[in-house]
Amino acid sequence: MKVTLNWLKEFVDFSLSATQVADALTMAGLEVEEVYTLERNFSRVVVGKIVKSQKHPDADHLSLCQVDVGGNILPIVCGAPNAYEGLKAPLALDGSVLLNDLKVETRKIRGFESQGMLCSEAELGLSERSEQLMELAADAEVGKELGQYLGEPDSVFDINVTPNRPDCLSVIGIAREIAAMTGSSLKKPELNIAAIPDAIEKYMTVDIQAEERCFRYSGRYLRDITIKPAPFWMALRLHAVGIRSINNVVDVTNYVMMEVGQPLHAFDYRLLEGKKVIVRTAEAGERFTTLDGQEHELDQDSLLICDGVKPVALAGVMGGLNSEVQPDTNTIFLESAYFEPTNIRRTAKRLDLSTESSRRFERGIDPNGTIYAMNRAASLIVDLAGGHVVGDAIDNYPQKVTPVEIDLSVHQSNVWLGVSLKKEQIAEILSSIELSVEQKNGDTLRAIVPTFRPDLTRPIDLVEEIARLYGYDNVEPNVAPRINQLQEANPRVLFRDSVRQTVSGMGFRETCNLSLIHKKFGHEFLPQKAGFVELLNPLSEDLSVFRPNMIISLLTSVAYNRNRQMHDMRLFEIGNVAWKEDGQSVKTEKTQIAGILAGHRQGNAWYGKAKEFDFYDIKGVVEGLLAKIGIEKFEQESAHDVFWDAESSKVIVDGKSCGAFGKITDDVLTLFKIKTNDLFAFYFDFDKLFENRRKEKIYNPVPRFPSVPFDLALLIDVNVSAGSLEKEIWKSGGENLVDVHLFDYYKGEQVEAGKKSVAFSLTFSSKERTLSDDEIENVIDQILAHLSGQFGAQLRDR
Amino acid sequence: MAENLETIISVIAETEKAFFYRLSNAATRDDLEEIRIEYLSRKGKVQSLFSLIGKVDGADRPKIGAELNRVKKAVQDAIDEKQKSFQRTGKAIEFFDPTLPGRTVSVGSLHPLMQVMDEVKQIFVGMGFRIEEGDEIETDYHNFEALNIPKHHPSRDMQDTFYLSDEYVLRTHTSPVQIHTMEDQKPPIRMIAPGRCFRKDTPDATHSPTFHQVEGLCVDRGVSFADLKGVVLAFAQKLFGKDVKVRFRPSFFPFTEPSAEYDFSCIFCKGQGCRVCKDTGWLEISGAGMVDPAVFGFVDYNADVYSGYAFGMGIERIAMLKYQVNDIRIFYENDLRFLKQF
Ligand SMILES: [Zn+2]
Repeated sequence: MKVTLNWLKEFVDFSLSATQVADALTMAGLEVEEVYTLERNFSRVVVGKIVKSQKHPDADHLSLCQVDVGGNILPIVCGAPNAYEGLKAPLALDGSVLLNDLKVETRKIRGFESQGMLCSEAELGLSERSEQLMELAADAEVGKELGQYLGEPDSVFDINVTPNRPDCLSVIGIAREIAAMTGSSLKKPELNIAAIPDAIEKYMTVDIQAEERCFRYSGRYLRDITIKPAPFWMALRLHAVGIRSINNVVDVTNYVMMEVGQPLHAFDYRLLEGKKVIVRTAEAGERFTTLDGQEHELDQDSLLICDGVKPVALAGVMGGLNSEVQPDTNTIFLESAYFEPTNIRRTAKRLDLSTESSRRFERGIDPNGTIYAMNRAASLIVDLAGGHVVGDAIDNYPQKVTPVEIDLSVHQSNVWLGVSLKKEQIAEILSSIELSVEQKNGDTLRAIVPTFRPDLTRPIDLVEEIARLYGYDNVEPNVAPRINQLQEANPRVLFRDSVRQTVSGMGFRETCNLSLIHKKFGHEFLPQKAGFVELLNPLSEDLSVFRPNMIISLLTSVAYNRNRQMHDMRLFEIGNVAWKEDGQSVKTEKTQIAGILAGHRQGNAWYGKAKEFDFYDIKGVVEGLLAKIGIEKFEQESAHDVFWDAESSKVIVDGKSCGAFGKITDDVLTLFKIKTNDLFAFYFDFDKLFENRRKEKIYNPVPRFPSVPFDLALLIDVNVSAGSLEKEIWKSGGENLVDVHLFDYYKGEQVEAGKKSVAFSLTFSSKERTLSDDEIENVIDQILAHLSGQFGAQLRDR
Repeated sequence: MAENLETIISVIAETEKAFFYRLSNAATRDDLEEIRIEYLSRKGKVQSLFSLIGKVDGADRPKIGAELNRVKKAVQDAIDEKQKSFQRTGKAIEFFDPTLPGRTVSVGSLHPLMQVMDEVKQIFVGMGFRIEEGDEIETDYHNFEALNIPKHHPSRDMQDTFYLSDEYVLRTHTSPVQIHTMEDQKPPIRMIAPGRCFRKDTPDATHSPTFHQVEGLCVDRGVSFADLKGVVLAFAQKLFGKDVKVRFRPSFFPFTEPSAEYDFSCIFCKGQGCRVCKDTGWLEISGAGMVDPAVFGFVDYNADVYSGYAFGMGIERIAMLKYQVNDIRIFYENDLRFLKQF
């Protein structure tokens, strides 16, 4: 909402500078986003008077003028339609510079010399009106610098009005706030309408058929008016607050809307049929063309203003093309109504048609302000367009809105704010914003809230007003802690942070990626039969679905860095992923942790050649992470999805899959435009790790007796996995086997075809005694017998 | 007849020179022992030189004696010195270069946004707040309606929302976590909700469709606006130092009343005015306020008995100030050259 300093000064006396006003408004909750002085983009422009004007002999649209600039008469060629004799208009002298660096020089135009240029408001940057010469007052002093003639340029405040303050979408509303802040009072002029006595029913009747959507409909009939451009002062102000000047009548409706906050609409009376206005809801599918030329298809929720035959306005949003004020009309019907806010909002949203009018109605205007606004407009129209108001005002007000009364406990208010204000102070504060305050007995105040403040309905609403006007700065901060509210820590958060520390400690860098992705990156990562969680209103295709797996995010980061010549990296991220299970419209949302290894474990160095990451690097990370959180053992099973079948593994803990790791497939890498195939990744369902973590740490006594190592090299079929061997060793190793470590793995010439050699280092230890060699030998025999039975394993050497 | 003095001196010098040559070629401890016996044993080369003393004139003997003692000491010292250079393996060290680069250890790091988040969390945990978490996909009810933001209300315009359906949205703030917590627990409540949020903002230097928030909530008997100012002040000073001042400006949020925007005095110019604070001396941080009684209505708290405050903050905003990052998008690029700096 924009408002100018001079406009405000019409309604309240104050001596603050523009900057001071801006600061004060901001500290009262009306955030001034910008305050600036209207620029004057011209120099060497003076008040000129056209003393003679005649048509150019060869060009109809040009006039040859003699312009008095105070002492000198200059020949000027002018193309404006209103360059008539006697007009005072701005003249840019030879050598002047106008808006957009337009330089004015003496030159010949169609054979006649022009020693300057008569200007429109647009050429001077004062408004956007460019069709006509700017018309100056008859008493303007000829020859005077235009800047001097116009006086000090006005200042504009651009205010961010919050949705709870519809009253401040008006100059008067903001002036009221300034009055409250400065201790002065609002000056709201009385209006006297000198109407020609007549029975208004002869000209117009109003029938509200949708009372729940139209609480009040007021109107006035004016005749004998003349449509012409609005005077400069009005065009200037409208321009300053961002509204285009149209003509005197339309400008008045906009001007009064800005001034008092009531949207108004002027109909060309000639175009209304049947001398009546009907307010009704639209029929489903009914079509209507608004005055911007757009045709809309309506539904039964939309409210229409109709004449006796047809719709003429989309209530509260925009007038119709069919009843717009025409340049040649001399009669108008002025509408000033109150429409139900939610309904207007729904319509404006659905049609994507947000207007200055709908913005005000949907926030809630003053239902008891329609008459004042209408009369203000009527008297301005009579001033600017001539003519007369005819008959009484029409005022159809089926849903009367009365002021709200609120009882406030002074004590309660002080407790909420943490202050100790007296009853009188509070009464004074509330009175300053035009609430009438009755001091009831004891602790209670009763405030009667004017209907222009629909946001004040409850005691807490008054407390906010008290705090705001007392000053937030004046409330002393209380830093005393509340011991009774201390809380125990959230274990999931602690776990999450410790996992992040662990993984970053393993050399991974934490990334932070957007959660939204392009579909094409996600397909391969969706669980079987699942679908995407998709946005109804995405910003773009690239950010249209929720990521179903954190590896997508890491691949995005790898691709980004690879494009910037960075090849080797270890990245991880914890974040949320989501998908829709088959046939289910409800989402599944999970937290995942994922890590990725890309490129080389180690680059070329003096101590060794570069080494690419391989499967066992990512497995080592997985093992390390799981061991750190207390998951010592897990089962493996081939994982498919985004990993190569062979080089992949699920991680199964207690029979349940917690995640997977492996080598990323070429198909997936191609999708991300990653050209190498040296990427290995893991991902876990974070909450499965959380459930399976070691919850308590309890000391397990370290053995007091020496442990005995024993190395075992086995010859077995190539197809027997090391993991299954290890599992069986554990099974047959007895209670004193405490560690199994695979230290050698060999396939090749040294062993017979179809076989491989696998060597384990076993450690035995007892809590009770030193183990004897015989005992160890017995266990080893037992293990060997078992392995031989299971896999046909042979001892290679002992 | 006495030998020529000069001849004897040169014999001594040659013996010494030969010794040092041998020593320089000693590669093992055994080599060294051999050399030691060869030169220093009783019949060794140095000892046998002493017999030459008798062959010179009496006047020259002290001179020769002194020279022989010097050589004997030099040989002994050199052998001792060499001995130290052998390690337990018995091998001598060749030239050792400690300036070669060390073997690379991969160094990890935490993301700057998460570091700021961690710091903010720690500060509030230290003040007795419990951390609560929630889903990023929320119901319209928890994200809006229970926060006193009805459907078809202009305050919905304050946040551009990503919709999944009529029922589900990507949460636009972490406030729904407050609603869940209040649904599950009775007062007193003292919690923060850190997390990721979403708004339909086209990415630019200050907007990202994904961003992070920490929001706080405290509900108890007699909680006041002054308490809110206190906790925000304590937070500001923990984060940016004791000199930081806090300013509250009236504002509007549907879920709080009174509502405020809060600013910190500029940490760069100490409130004097600079480019970062646009010469205002203040840095806008975020919003706060007293919980609107209507919100208590949704979670069945008695608004006549309890009151509460809530506050929020944007992690990106704080991180941008703290690390002087001027474009929010950099956080989400994950350029290694950026990540390495934290
Ligand atoms: Zn500053």
